[in-house]
Amino acid sequence: MRARPSSEAAPEAAPPAPGARLAEVAARRDRARRDRTLGGFLALLAGLALLGFALDLLAIPLDRLPGVAGRMAEVLATRYWPPRLSHVAERGYLRAVFDTLQMSIVAAALGMALAAPLAWLAAFNVSPAPRLGQPLARLLLTAFRSVHEMIWTILLVTVLGFGMLAGTLALTLFCAGFAGKLLAEAVEAIDPGPVEALRAAGAGPLQVFFWAVLPQVRVAWAGAAIYTWDVVFRAATVVGFFGAGGMGSYLRESVQRIESQEVAAILLTIVAVVLAAELLSGWARARLARAVA
Amino acid sequence: MLAGATLDALEARADRLDAARLRSRAVTVAAWAAAALLVGASLWTIVVADTDWSRITGESVLRSLGRFARVDLRLLPELARPALDTALMATLATLLGAAMALPIAWLGAANATPLGRPSVVFARGLMTVSRSVHEIVWGLLFVAAAGLGTLAGILAMAVRSIGFISKTVAEAIEDADPGPIEAMRAVGANRTQILFWAILPQVVPVLLGNVIFEWDVNIRRSTVMGLVGAGGLGLAMHRQMAAYEYGGVSAVVLVVLGLILLGELASHHARKAIV
Repeated sequence: MRARPSSEAAPEAAPPAPGARLAEVAARRDRARRDRTLGGFLALLAGLALLGFALDLLAIPLDRLPGVAGRMAEVLATRYWPPRLSHVAERGYLRAVFDTLQMSIVAAALGMALAAPLAWLAAFNVSPAPRLGQPLARLLLTAFRSVHEMIWTILLVTVLGFGMLAGTLALTLFCAGFAGKLLAEAVEAIDPGPVEALRAAGAGPLQVFFWAVLPQVRVAWAGAAIYTWDVVFRAATVVGFFGAGGMGSYLRESVQRIESQEVAAILLTIVAVVLAAELLSGWARARLARAVA
Repeated sequence: MLAGATLDALEARADRLDAARLRSRAVTVAAWAAAALLVGASLWTIVVADTDWSRITGESVLRSLGRFARVDLRLLPELARPALDTALMATLATLLGAAMALPIAWLGAANATPLGRPSVVFARGLMTVSRSVHEIVWGLLFVAAAGLGTLAGILAMAVRSIGFISKTVAEAIEDADPGPIEAMRAVGANRTQILFWAILPQVVPVLLGNVIFEWDVNIRRSTVMGLVGAGGLGLAMHRQMAAYEYGGVSAVVLVVLGLILLGELASHHARKAIV
């Protein structure tokens, strides 16, 4: 009774010839490669179909496309050149540059103050209210970030009237959404050890935040704050275009009067101050990294 | 005698440490005070000097918020087409931007650039200009060059996208594993062959991930291109605003939110499928 099954099982237990296994592996690999090629081909076809559909639906004048670079150069050379630098070298404009800086500073400070608690609430690992507060905070941050800062500006200018207040609040909302995501990501990447240790010792959520979370994310948050200021400043140069004060209001005025040489001068100053802000923020972040290391 | 000298030295050292600690604390306090002063002064300019509070009352704010709150839902069917246009504009702009970004990334990567140091500096300059100019400004420029319409918006977003994509790809090229490059060089491959068969395969995952990220960002941007005359949902919003149809503006903002949430979902899944 016992001998029969074992004698039957014996041929199965014997390993197949190495050649056969190699052939099987090779065949499987060939099949996988064929499937991948086919998949790639189909994806390419779908992409081309989408491209054709998009170009057709948007009625894009493709014949205008090759000449665009030349036309752009021509428009810039004949209408925008030379930039009328006298327009930006006056006191009022310098004030506007200063206003832009002030809007960006206040918006970054208020935005960070709004983003920090929201990021704490939205971080899935240490949120003090994981059931209700966590998704709610996440939704709020997403909504702040999703609506473009220029749409926020237009809405707030309509409610609060023209001026820096509306622009600053619009930039604050944008900053809260933008920074909130960065801050929450930093919180989610912390070492859970100290959090668990404090919780085990009976610490409340606020104590956990101040003694286990904050010390771990201080540096990342400071870096995010500097970077966010730089992004907010770039947006602050333009919010005036929709009635919110700063350099953008000069831009709007010159665009509406079709004074292209004034526009050129303003654009040059915008690029210059944005570059300066970027250099400053890069330097500050490098210093921060050095100070920590 | 010896013990006394050691004690003195120790005490002097403790004094020095105390002084250093005091100094560093003073620096911290001064930095925070300066920051607080800066924010306070700016806040004063914005809230007190620049704002005419006699025109902003609780009542006026509530009234205009109330006008926005009456969302004009009848407008929604009309917004389907602009929403589709917006998404397609973002897609085309991202593809065009990526296509323009690749050669710039190649020029800007120190280890692969064909013309040495000057081409690296040139390419890095292009990346910086592309990123430093806000999309609204690019939109104004391209509306002037290409006329009103979606083409101007696509070009504006494409040029705005070059900076991010080419910078990350250039960094990926610089970080590429030199093994395959050296192996190909050893068997006599030329620059073009090395670029296509040793560098590009290593860079593709980074490129795809960042193109998807930028697509997501471009959907957000394309919702405002219409505000400067470049088509899409921004144009619909501009029209509602010009007609003082605040309920219509709210409807457009709702559609913008929906579109961006859809885009975020799509890009999340696309990124997961690739990684």
